[in-house]
Amino acid sequence: MVREMSAGPSRRRLAGALTALGGVTLLAACAEDAPQDTWQPAGENAQRIQDLQWWVFAIAGAVGLIVFATIAWVSVRYRDRGQPIPRQTHGRPALEIGLTVLPALILVGVAIPTIGTLMDLSRTSDTECVVNVTGQQWWWEVDYPPQEGCGGFSEPIVTSGQMVIPTGTKVLVRGTSRDVIHSWWIPRLNGKRDMVPGRVQTVRLQADRPGIYAGQCTEFCGLSHANMRMEVVALDPADFETWKANQLADYTAPMEGSLAAAGEQVFISQCATCHQVDGLVNADGVPIIAQPQERVFAGAAPNLTNLTTRNTFAGATWDLLTPTCRDDVWNASPEEFGAAYLAGVSADCLNEVDLREWLRNAPAKKPMYADPEQLGPTDGLNRGMPYLALSEAQIDQIIAYLLERQ
Amino acid sequence: MTTTGSKLLIGATVMAVVAAVVYGVIVGGALGTIGLSSAAMGLALLAGVNVYTRDADVSSMDTQAVMAAPAAAAAPGNSMWPIGAAVGGVLLVVGFVTYPVMVVFGVVVLLAATVEWTVQAWSERASGDATFNASLRGRMAHPLEFPVLGAIGLGVVIYSFSRIMLFLSQAGGPAAFATIAALILLVGFVVAFRPTVRSGAVAGVATIALVGLVAGGVAAALEGERELHPHETTGDLGREGQCDTGEETEADENASQTVGAKANLLADIVLHEDGRLEADALGLPGGAGQLVVARNNPTNVRFVNASGEERRLVLDLGTRPAVDENGDVIEDEEVPDQRCTALANEDGNQLLNFTVTEPSASGGPYAFVVPGVDGARVEVVVP
Ligand code: HEC
Ligand SMILES: [Cu+2]
Repeated sequence: MVREMSAGPSRRRLAGALTALGGVTLLAACAEDAPQDTWQPAGENAQRIQDLQWWVFAIAGAVGLIVFATIAWVSVRYRDRGQPIPRQTHGRPALEIGLTVLPALILVGVAIPTIGTLMDLSRTSDTECVVNVTGQQWWWEVDYPPQEGCGGFSEPIVTSGQMVIPTGTKVLVRGTSRDVIHSWWIPRLNGKRDMVPGRVQTVRLQADRPGIYAGQCTEFCGLSHANMRMEVVALDPADFETWKANQLADYTAPMEGSLAAAGEQVFISQCATCHQVDGLVNADGVPIIAQPQERVFAGAAPNLTNLTTRNTFAGATWDLLTPTCRDDVWNASPEEFGAAYLAGVSADCLNEVDLREWLRNAPAKKPMYADPEQLGPTDGLNRGMPYLALSEAQIDQIIAYLLERQ
Repeated sequence: MTTTGSKLLIGATVMAVVAAVVYGVIVGGALGTIGLSSAAMGLALLAGVNVYTRDADVSSMDTQAVMAAPAAAAAPGNSMWPIGAAVGGVLLVVGFVTYPVMVVFGVVVLLAATVEWTVQAWSERASGDATFNASLRGRMAHPLEFPVLGAIGLGVVIYSFSRIMLFLSQAGGPAAFATIAALILLVGFVVAFRPTVRSGAVAGVATIALVGLVAGGVAAALEGERELHPHETTGDLGREGQCDTGEETEADENASQTVGAKANLLADIVLHEDGRLEADALGLPGGAGQLVVARNNPTNVRFVNASGEERRLVLDLGTRPAVDENGDVIEDEEVPDQRCTALANEDGNQLLNFTVTEPSASGGPYAFVVPGVDGARVEVVVP
């Protein structure tokens, strides 16, 4: 009795819920602000994947529809209405062979262009320049070896979190890892590639237009895997030259007696064991070389020489720009993007909230195995940046110092 | 018939009387004599009662009980465990003045003997039925005995085996064990295809094999292990600063001359016939005189020897402080800091894996070189 009475409304409610779910899914597919959308290719490599995937998905979708429709039709048409069990038959060779051959043919049809695309995407012979990425818990280091490609590099450049590339250029990314397996994926530029310690893996990247292309680590790599993000920043070749010159500019020491000068001293005593700032010298004029391998498990910490030329930090997870300034960069037209990005982080635009929290207590902001009592398995080495017990005055000084790192 | 209990009490009474008389005559003194006489009287009383009741409550009318009562059951045979315990005790005492292992053995033997003896004594008196008593002993002791004996047996077999293997020469080992394995297979075949073989014969053969194994193990253990020679590797050459040689070293013996790793290398370092050394880095082909390597990052390169002579590739990382055998730094002494491949024969390849911890700006200059080939050099830049 009870069941019969409630069957009507509950079935209707279920149908309603399913419709709503379907609707939401459908709407999600039209999301505008989706920086990590494989369906919005922004370069030739991603376009290749797009050209392959749309019709593979179309075929798969058609097959899926046919199968579900058949199941639905059979379940309704032949449902149990108390009729006698029909005569049982066995074997229908023509149908069975047909239903084996047809899917096999479809799979072969999908496989041929798929393999072709895979071969195209793994080519390294026609690329024009090389950028290295190295994954470690939980950020990416990016470095540019000296080469003739990409307008030429006379000296290596080391940076982190954001990879800057010239537009319209076939870039070869050579990737590896310093600790565990990570995976590099910029969905709008190419597929993903696992980065494995001791091996060098390659990914092609090419961006048609200036802009920021977001991605994130896609191989579970420990506590802060979700906070291991990265961005590719494409600048047109002229802007790229400006960026390069900025990166290679000589170190400018803070003005004597300034807040930043005090920050430099704090940096030397508190940060320079892990973080390299090229050109920084000690009181005797000897260059200070960071020794991250003595304190960090992966043996590396981000190079902070030009921190405020980038606009994210700590695995591209937090912005160095305030939300308004960030939007100005992200929403800039392709023509204006280069200038907006190259402006770097000004004092007015600095996102002090997140940076302060980071300096106050990094492991509290980004989960990292940095509790001194739990470092047994790594022989006392941190994974990530430890808590440093800085005073608010020291943080003020360091922020003033870091603002000048551009 | 005088029962055992009565005999005991009568004997004690006689001894007490004798003692009282002897004490009274020889030592004198009233108190001792009175005490001993009292004991004699008490014991006599008990003996009387015992004789009268014929040891406890067995009715004098019940003639069958004479045979069936527990007390009337045949006395169990002599126990061996006191001897075991004695051996344990001796081991313990001797061990205290000789080798500590003997103390351990003594304790183990003593414990085992005590437990076994207790269980045996308890079970033999559990009822008048010897068969039932034996099964009871088994129920108590087997859960302990079987695993312990099994482990000891296995331990002896494995230890004998390992001693024999360590004693045999490198060539003799495989030969000996191939023969033994063949023999075991043969015996297995015979047993499988000849069901008429008596189980006694099989057990006999197995026992002989086991005894042979243990005897061989003991002999081999006494003889000592064969000399084990650790093979030198190219890593040792680097550690000892001896990469500079173009000659074959022990580390190069049997070194594989071609390396399977074709992909996922940072670069090929190619030695040409004219003595040029070039880096062919992934994505940067064209042969460069320079290779950039990330800091603190395990890196693989392949040495491609196209020079027509046996050569090795050496990564020269400057110098490092010398260390003594204990790994302590010797002050004011520097040795070359090098990593090298094994000798690659003509047209051979070798792999080199290395990690550089110091940037070339402060620790450098670093370079790949080839001993014996002047001017073969690829600079290594570590940012
Ligand atoms: C024990 C080594 C260590 C010390 C000391 C250290 N850091 Fe870090 N720092 C790290 C590591 C590792 C990371 C990367 C963490 C991540 O993103 O997951 C990092 C990240 C950062 C970042 C983000 C950089 C980027 O490009 O993403 C900033 C900024 C930073 N640290 C500032 C400082 C300052 C300022 C000090 C001194 C007060 C300092 N750190 C001291 C290890 C250290
Ligand atoms: Cu990761």
